[in-house]
Amino acid sequence: MNSLHPRVQVVWIGRALFLAGVVGLVVVAVDRLAVSLPALVPPAVILFVAVVGVVHALLRYRLWGYEVREDSIYLERGVLTRVRTVVPFVRIQHVDSSRGPVERVLGLATTVVYTAGSRGADVSVPGLTPDGADDLRERLRRLAIRAESEDAV
Amino acid sequence: MTKLSPLSVPYRVLQRGGSIAFALVFALASGASSIPFLGLAGPIAFVVLAALIILLVVAYELAYYRRYEYELTTDTFDIQSGVVARRNREIPLRRIQNVDISRNVVQRVLGVAAVDFETAGGSETEAAIRYVSFEEAKRLQGEIRRLKRGAEDPAERETEPASELFALSDRELALVGALSFDFRVPGILFVLGSGSFPILSTAVPDGGGFPVVVGGLLFLFVVVVLFSWAAGAVLAIVNYYGFRLLRTGDELQYERGLLQRYDGSIPLDKIQTLTVEDNPLKRYFDYATLYIETAGYAPGQGGGGRGSQAAVPLATRPRVEQLANDIESFGAPEFQRPPRRVRRRYAARYLIGLGVVTALLFGVDSLLAQSLPWFGTAVLLPLVPFAAHVKWKHRGYWLGDDHVVTRNGVLKRQIKVVPYYRIQTVIDSRTIFQRRWKLATVTVDTAGSLSLTQQDAAAVDVDVQTAAKLRGTLEERLRSALAARRSASRSGGTRTATLSEGRTEEPTDGVPAAEDRETDVSEDDPPTAESDPETERGSNTEAGGEAESTETRDPG
Repeated sequence: MNSLHPRVQVVWIGRALFLAGVVGLVVVAVDRLAVSLPALVPPAVILFVAVVGVVHALLRYRLWGYEVREDSIYLERGVLTRVRTVVPFVRIQHVDSSRGPVERVLGLATTVVYTAGSRGADVSVPGLTPDGADDLRERLRRLAIRAESEDAV
Repeated sequence: MTKLSPLSVPYRVLQRGGSIAFALVFALASGASSIPFLGLAGPIAFVVLAALIILLVVAYELAYYRRYEYELTTDTFDIQSGVVARRNREIPLRRIQNVDISRNVVQRVLGVAAVDFETAGGSETEAAIRYVSFEEAKRLQGEIRRLKRGAEDPAERETEPASELFALSDRELALVGALSFDFRVPGILFVLGSGSFPILSTAVPDGGGFPVVVGGLLFLFVVVVLFSWAAGAVLAIVNYYGFRLLRTGDELQYERGLLQRYDGSIPLDKIQTLTVEDNPLKRYFDYATLYIETAGYAPGQGGGGRGSQAAVPLATRPRVEQLANDIESFGAPEFQRPPRRVRRRYAARYLIGLGVVTALLFGVDSLLAQSLPWFGTAVLLPLVPFAAHVKWKHRGYWLGDDHVVTRNGVLKRQIKVVPYYRIQTVIDSRTIFQRRWKLATVTVDTAGSLSLTQQDAAAVDVDVQTAAKLRGTLEERLRSALAARRSASRSGGTRTATLSEGRTEEPTDGVPAAEDRETDVSEDDPPTAESDPETERGSNTEAGGEAESTETRDPG
């Protein structure tokens, strides 16, 4: 079972802190404009959201795993709801590797696998190195082509 | 190149004009026509403006009519349209999944119809023709059906006999109305209406006390139930009036509707899932409903929304099962239920729910001057074990020879049949609560679309070990089913299919969205991909991101 690059935790922690900041702004706005809350409430709320967010990000990293198996790609992820997804190679429509702006700054990339399904339409593997993402993409592509052309039976 | 029906011009003018006229009348009534600095000339200017707008609309619609032409060739359907910006479209016939015809009351009087072309992968109608005569619409439907089957031989171009599979009798239509009771509606309305309790309770005479409040609540409940029943019945009757299901070769055709009349099709080789649905009322009388889910968008309501169409709105259960088996021969499922401890889980869930409601009522009660019977929820306590057992009883899954069948729900029970070769991904999920009970849910994802009310076929709350085995088994059977189809098509299977086989052999697997990738008219690429279907690109910079994408191969 492969795990993601540790630096992806930075991305997730960053997101959690950003969320805490937004929540803090909302609470402060509520405090000033609507209901006046006790002085300790806004910082407590921000701290709580931040701590929960950071813990969630760290747990998420620990629980993320993927494996390229013989006929499918297998992913495990999720903190509150643990989800295991099996994407058979024959079902892969195409594979993308992409890098958003934050990922580019941190030197990470994501590989996205597309199927024709509705719920599992796109399955992403974040937190890969750029080369790792390209490698995975190529590997999946070749495996998908091979699965399609194989004369099984 | 053929033109639209001439009658479409006045109809479209009326359609467009209707909303403009409404706005004008509204403005007139609100006194906007008396523009201050124009004085008496205000209303006149207003009328002149209105006349100008009407003229513009008529001129536009006339131009639209004159500039709209279409043609059906052997491989494509071509449309040339546009008044200001011209648009030439060539839609490969291979991409067209359905040709759906709809007519509302006015259109039926005029003898015109709207035609919609649906493809497998889109989230909206691929092309819409407004309006042609009904005969022309039927001709297009039939011609496209024949051309898609590759009927080169002129002899085959004769009208294929359509055999009627099912027609809804008047009695059955009445039953559809009577039994189409959405059990969730009263609950939702009740919850929404409970906000009016404080107001209502002030209307209750003091000293009336507990019995009066309970009586009032009961009365309200009955009213809500009757109202939602009536609404559901009217909706069902309007949707399924004159319902017929016919078979033509490898396609099912349906007709339905009272106010809006639909003539549509369900291609057998695009079927993703079959759903046999019922509710407690239907079960008591031994009736059921059959839905067919295909990939892509299906217009019109009353079929379950996107991508899902009612093939049999209501019939006796044996008949529904027979018809379902004719389409996908899955046999007689023997469902495996979840482990018995799941009942305790549901009981706990309901108790917590009751607790929350009681706490809320208590809170409301303590805030109000009136006293609310917050302990009234105790009445529901004895129902909890019964409800938990019933919910468990109606769950189950079954692995057939060629299909996986799941069963879920009590108030809306759905038995979903998924052929193994339609499985896309298999998802095993465990919420934090399921982990405590050592349970998991295995969801079978298909290319069928998902609306808010429909759910994927899933084996819910199975033991974790069963879930792991199920994952493996489903994957394995998917592979062997696909391999079997591949070798069958390679050894020269014919394209025509009988209804009992249910599907045509195709060189590519019947995953509709996939077929769209190799066409030149790339209109329904997946939302975030930047892939060029034909070539591999190096790097493709877009705003803020860098995406490298690769097309794998002819999709499977």
